[in-house]
Order: sequence, then C-alpha cells, then structure tokens
Amino acid sequence: MGKIISIHSFRGGTGKSNSTANLAALVALQDKRVGIVDTDIQSPGIHVLFGLDAKNMGKTINDFLHGKCEIGEVAYPVGDKAANSPGRSNLAGKKLWLFPSSIHGREIGQILREGYDVNLLNTGLQTLMKEFELDYLFIDTHPGLNEETLLSIAISDMLIIILRPDNQDFQGTAVTVDIARSLDVPKLLLMVNKAVPGYDYNDMKNQIEGAFNAQLAGIMPLNFELANNASKDLFAISTPNHEWSRELKKVADAILSAD
Amino acid sequence: MMDQEITAQLKKIDWFEELPDKMLFGLATKVRRRKLDKNEVLFNKGEEGDSLFVINAGWVKVVTKDTKGGEVVLNQVGAGEIIGEMALLDNEPRSAGVVALEDTTVLELKRDDFMDILKLQPDLALSVIRNFSSRLRYSTQYIEMITDMTQRVAQGDYSFIGDTQPGQLRRKSLSDQDKIGQLLAEFFAMVQGVKQREDELKKQVMKLTLQIDEAKRRQEFEEITSTDFYANLKQQAKKLRKQRTDRN
Repeated sequence: MGKIISIHSFRGGTGKSNSTANLAALVALQDKRVGIVDTDIQSPGIHVLFGLDAKNMGKTINDFLHGKCEIGEVAYPVGDKAANSPGRSNLAGKKLWLFPSSIHGREIGQILREGYDVNLLNTGLQTLMKEFELDYLFIDTHPGLNEETLLSIAISDMLIIILRPDNQDFQGTAVTVDIARSLDVPKLLLMVNKAVPGYDYNDMKNQIEGAFNAQLAGIMPLNFELANNASKDLFAISTPNHEWSRELKKVADAILSAD
Repeated sequence: MMDQEITAQLKKIDWFEELPDKMLFGLATKVRRRKLDKNEVLFNKGEEGDSLFVINAGWVKVVTKDTKGGEVVLNQVGAGEIIGEMALLDNEPRSAGVVALEDTTVLELKRDDFMDILKLQPDLALSVIRNFSSRLRYSTQYIEMITDMTQRVAQGDYSFIGDTQPGQLRRKSLSDQDKIGQLLAEFFAMVQGVKQREDELKKQVMKLTLQIDEAKRRQEFEEITSTDFYANLKQQAKKLRKQRTDRN
C-alpha cells in the first residue's frame, strides 16, 4: 500500500522544497516508485531542482484543477530525463515523477482569484497513487495552514514538519502538530533545518521531541554550500558526505522504515 | 655609603657582573646616592634621560598615561633592580616615568661617567654587548612564543594554556625596558581571558531555549478547527482513510 507524505512548514524559508526534492530522490534511489506533487500553487519552486523550467514544462497541476487535462498527463518523468548534473544523473532509470505547478504568473493569478475544488485535488492524488503504482507520494505544500494544506495533511499517511530551531517556528509547529493529531494522521516526523552550529544537538533533539511528543528524524545544519548551489541540483545526491546530506538520509531512512 | 657596598650593588647588574673588582670600584666612586620620599618623582616620561638608576632600598612604580591622561602602572621595581639603563647609551627621552612608592634610595650613574670608564675598559663594552645580545635572543624567543600562541589561538587551539607556567614566561624580574617579556605575559593573560569568555559564550549558545505560548496555541487551533470546512474535512479524511485501508 502506497503512502502519501506531506511535507510542511509553518513559515516560508525553511528549505522545504529543497528538502522534499532531496528526500524524494533518496527514496527513489532505493528503487521505490515515487511521486512529488507541488501543491504550493502560490509560489512553486521544486521544479527547478529537477531541471525543469518554463521552456520544457508541459501540463501542470493548474491545468488539471481547471479541468484542462487528466492528472496523469502532468507527470514529468525525472528518471527518463537524466540530466548530466552530478546529483540528478544518479536518478537515470529511477521511477520518480514530478507533478509541477504552473510557474506562469497568469495561471497562478487565475487560481488564486477563482480558487479550485479541493476535492478535485484529492481525487487527483488518489488517482496518481493507483495509476503510477506509487510507493510514496510526496506533497510539497504551501507554508501555513490554508485549505489545500489542511486537505493534504488530512489525507496523508505521514506528515513531516520542517522547522528552524527558533521560537516562531516552535509556535507554528505546535499548532500544526495539534491539527495533525486532530486529523488522525497516523505518523508524524519532525526535522530541523538551518540549525546554527554551536548548539548541543542532542539537547535540541530531546527538547523538541519532548515538547511535541514526536520523533525528530534529523537536524540539518545551516548549509551555505546548499545556498550557493542556488537550487540547481540535488545536494544530498551530489554531496552525500556533507553533514546536511547525512542528516537528510536519516529522515529518508525513517520514512522507509515506517510501518 | 661605603664604596664597597655600592660595588656589591653594581655587581648584581648584568652589565657589570663580568667587570673586574678594580674597575667596579672605579665605577662605584662615580655613583651618586639619592633619597626619594614617598610619591616623589624620579623622572617623568619624555624627559631627557642621561643616567641609570639602581634601586638600593624601597620600591618605585614605572608609570605612563592612558589616552585620557590617567595614570597606568606598567611595572613595580624593587631593591637590586635597574631603571633607565638605555639612557646610558642613547639620547632618547624617557619612555616612562618613575615615582617612589615609599621612601626609597637609588644609586645614580651618569652617562658621561659611564662613557669615561667604557673608553678605559673594553671588557665593560664587551659585557654590555653580550648583555644586549642575550636580551635580543630572549626577545626573539618571546616573539616566537607569541607567534606560536597567536597561530594556535587563531585555530581555536588553547591546549598550551595548561602546559604553560605563567612564571616561566618572565626570564627574571623586569626592568622597565624589558617590554617584550611583559608583552608575552600580558598576551598570555589575554589568551586566558579570551578562552574563558569563549567558554562562557559557548555555554550560553549551546542550549536551545524552546518556548511555546500555550494560550496562543489553543486559540490558533480553535480558529482553524471551528470552521465548517474543517468539520467536513475531518469527516472526509476519516472516510478516505477507511476506503484506502479496505481496498488494500
């Protein structure tokens, strides 16, 4: 039975899209069938990590939500488009599909103005799971707790919350954790990103796990190399020995070993 | 004071230790004894210096001024120690002032008298040169130590603090000219201070302070969950999960 995994953060700037893309790639490298849906329709970004831009982008989630195409037509087969970048080239032949949101301002504006049927998105996601026989479907959500984010949490088998180690993120994460429990999400994982060096990471892990009563799967340090990479490649694949990549691997392992 | 007593005092000075007694005795006849009351100024910074002093009894402080004009004590000097020996060789102004800390006796040797003896006694000149040479050697060693410590501190390596006895940093009691030795001692004290502050700072950033406003948390939760959309979603989610579980 395939799993739907929502990746969420209460505020923007946590490195959510980057983490989601790298996690999905790490899982796909374990010969799992993996899909990534970009439901961050307001500010899509994950496509860049898979070398997708305005020129080569085909149908999008927006087209599906406007009834212009079937959801399966949105699929961008990452494994078939093996790029020659150091990270992505490892994904050649892997079963990984990206379902991107439109990056055209007009189409983003239209969906923000008119809204869309949240139930249609739900039906679409369930269809993807079946048609592509996915083991894992990652949903890259919009930060905050709007309707489509609540929907993706509601239908998820696992929710991964990415947070920075600061009190604003702790506050928002607390509310998200409460919502996830209220919606009976079976599995909850936390991961810290952009941790400043010099902290006692064991102490951090204990405090966060204690406060939210949930597993903290990885603490990823503030990574300037990743920032310099400017989201152009999959850092955890191209630079697997970096601490950031090793911690993200722990999160991937936690996903793979979950019931 | 007997010349013999002065001779004994002069013999303690590095420059003169190799000088034959006869020569020393000649030197002693030129030495003038001066008494200082407590707080009396021996000389001020910037004055032209033309004599060396040996502290015979008592204590003096070597002072300079900070940028606001306040007094900074560089060193305290007691019996048997020398002040202002450079003045015998060069015509530079005094680099610091000297003030008696208590009633003090000093022995003064004038440059002209010293020069007269130097001309008659080449061994004294050699002795002075040797003394300078050795001082230079020590200074070089001190500079090497400071260089080494600087490099280590830059790399965050403070391990040498434990291996260093602060006492061994000073070759012997300082004259006011032995500035390099003083710098080394001050530098070492600075490194200890920096390390201590860094340790304190580390302790402060090490521990995360996790704070959650529970009232705000409940309020935000209720705002989200009190809508019709949410109630409907919760229902649907339950149904959906059941469907997917049943299908598998």
